Amino acid sequence: MSPTISVEQLSKTYQVPEREGGFGAAVRGFFNRKYKDVKAVQEVTFSIAQGEIVGFLGPNGAGKTTTLKMLSGLLHPTGGSATVLGYTPWELKPDYLRSMTLVMGQRNRLSWDIPAADSFLLNQAIYRIPEDEYKQTYKELDELLELDPLMKKPVRNLSLGERMKCEIAAGLLHRPKVLFLDEPTIGLDITGQVRIREFLREYNKRSGATILLTSHYMADVTALCERIIIIHQGRLKYDGGITDLSRKIAPFKLIGVRLSDADSHDLSAYGTQVRNDEDADKKYIQVKAEDVTRITSRLLADLPIHDITITDPPIEDVIEQAFNS
Amino acid sequence: MFLIIKRLWQVNWAEQWQYRANLLMYLLYWLVSPIIYLAVWTSIANAKGSVNGFTANDFIQYYMVLLICDQFTSNIVIHTFGYKIQDGSLSGELIRPIHPMLTNGLVNNIAFKALTIMGLTPIWIILFFLYNPDFSSISMTGILLALPAMGMAFLIGYLLSAAITSLAFWTTRIYSIHEFYFAMILLFSGQFVPLTLMPKFIQEIAQFLPFQLLIYYPIQLILGKLSTEQIVQGFAMAFIWLGISALLFNWVWRNGVKRYSAVGA
Repeated sequence: MSPTISVEQLSKTYQVPEREGGFGAAVRGFFNRKYKDVKAVQEVTFSIAQGEIVGFLGPNGAGKTTTLKMLSGLLHPTGGSATVLGYTPWELKPDYLRSMTLVMGQRNRLSWDIPAADSFLLNQAIYRIPEDEYKQTYKELDELLELDPLMKKPVRNLSLGERMKCEIAAGLLHRPKVLFLDEPTIGLDITGQVRIREFLREYNKRSGATILLTSHYMADVTALCERIIIIHQGRLKYDGGITDLSRKIAPFKLIGVRLSDADSHDLSAYGTQVRNDEDADKKYIQVKAEDVTRITSRLLADLPIHDITITDPPIEDVIEQAFNS
Repeated sequence: MFLIIKRLWQVNWAEQWQYRANLLMYLLYWLVSPIIYLAVWTSIANAKGSVNGFTANDFIQYYMVLLICDQFTSNIVIHTFGYKIQDGSLSGELIRPIHPMLTNGLVNNIAFKALTIMGLTPIWIILFFLYNPDFSSISMTGILLALPAMGMAFLIGYLLSAAITSLAFWTTRIYSIHEFYFAMILLFSGQFVPLTLMPKFIQEIAQFLPFQLLIYYPIQLILGKLSTEQIVQGFAMAFIWLGISALLFNWVWRNGVKRYSAVGA
């Protein structure tokens, strides 16, 4: 079966007008405008099979959102090609637009001046959702996101988190086969984040939808995605399993020990000491994965240890290392 | 499609109501110039008996009908859509499976018109009693012919404005281009004075431009001042310009969307 999302050498270069501050520069800029090429995405290639949930990671300005905008059809690329569900996104074919969704930022599908309920009904008409299917989907969304109390207020009077819930719900009413989610949990409290995650997982399981999401909350990514794609400065840096990532990029383990008289022992002979603020009474050292067994037995033999743990380094740290490599 | 239009109407109508005070100000601003022209020309005609054959009643008739035609055929798409292209808020509409400007934008403008026409009605009635025009030349046929003519004129004006608005994909300075377009309307549409009072060469140019279809032509239709030949000619021009403006808008839009950079969001 051909992949649901297939991206081949996709590139996007923005032309950004550039000038110095000040009056003189403003006048010069009027007659002779200078442009700078900003290569937002450079020859990115990947493919995603139906039903996958893939985390799309990278620091600010890495090109994540630009890629999502191209895949949803908002932007024309400057190079390369992409197909989603067999369509070329930027041709903006109505059949394509009806089968995907892009949830991005705070103001997208909902009109600010009127209650969300009216925008929902408009979407029902635009996406040609039959009445009973609409009711069923709304009920499911309401159970997960507790939409009912928000529906009657003008959208501008909702809080950031409430608005995000409504945005996500509005983007899912037509039961899209492909979901592009740009920071879907931004602005939500912990309960809200967990709910959205549960919902996405459930939606994916039930409908077999394909999901590509970006998030700054690593918990979103670790909870939902088995596979991640990392991009940095517009280029693909990593594409693979989330568990393989630490093995490939940072083949380290963290050994944490609790000692009876912690201050009198120097652990630097065993490995690099690292701080861990969450668990201050434990000492942590970072060691190479292949040395874990040897060093652990040495530690146990040499020191008065109460408790020992061996863990993978936090995914944030691993990704940080991936960006810098 | 009917349901889409219905729901779009509900949303846009509710939105316009939110801004009703704003809208009333807009309407008053809009009415200032034609009412000044009306007052000035009527007093000149009263003082001199007539201006180039135009009596005071001719002027009153003309501007009273103009107030209505102008409301029917004008549009505000540049104000409701231009900024969306510039600040990226078009994104949400662009990925919906309906054309943003030919559905939502159009319905939004019609909702706006419905409200301003409601606001205009009492003002028009007051003016009617103040100036007491002689409307005996108006016939039912004229009105029935003017309705489709104004419908087409609205679409022509909307598509031309939409094409200018779509230039926002290239430049942020669409408002000055639109000012130029407004100047053309002022000069060639009969908004300022009845076209027959304009210099001969302007009248001749105006015949071939779309602007007189927006105002002068429907006014003359309503006032029953056109021969059958002129009526046919007017509708033919309207069809031609509807085609041209549709093609023009389509071309600008298609090429513009390719340049859309979805900034901001």
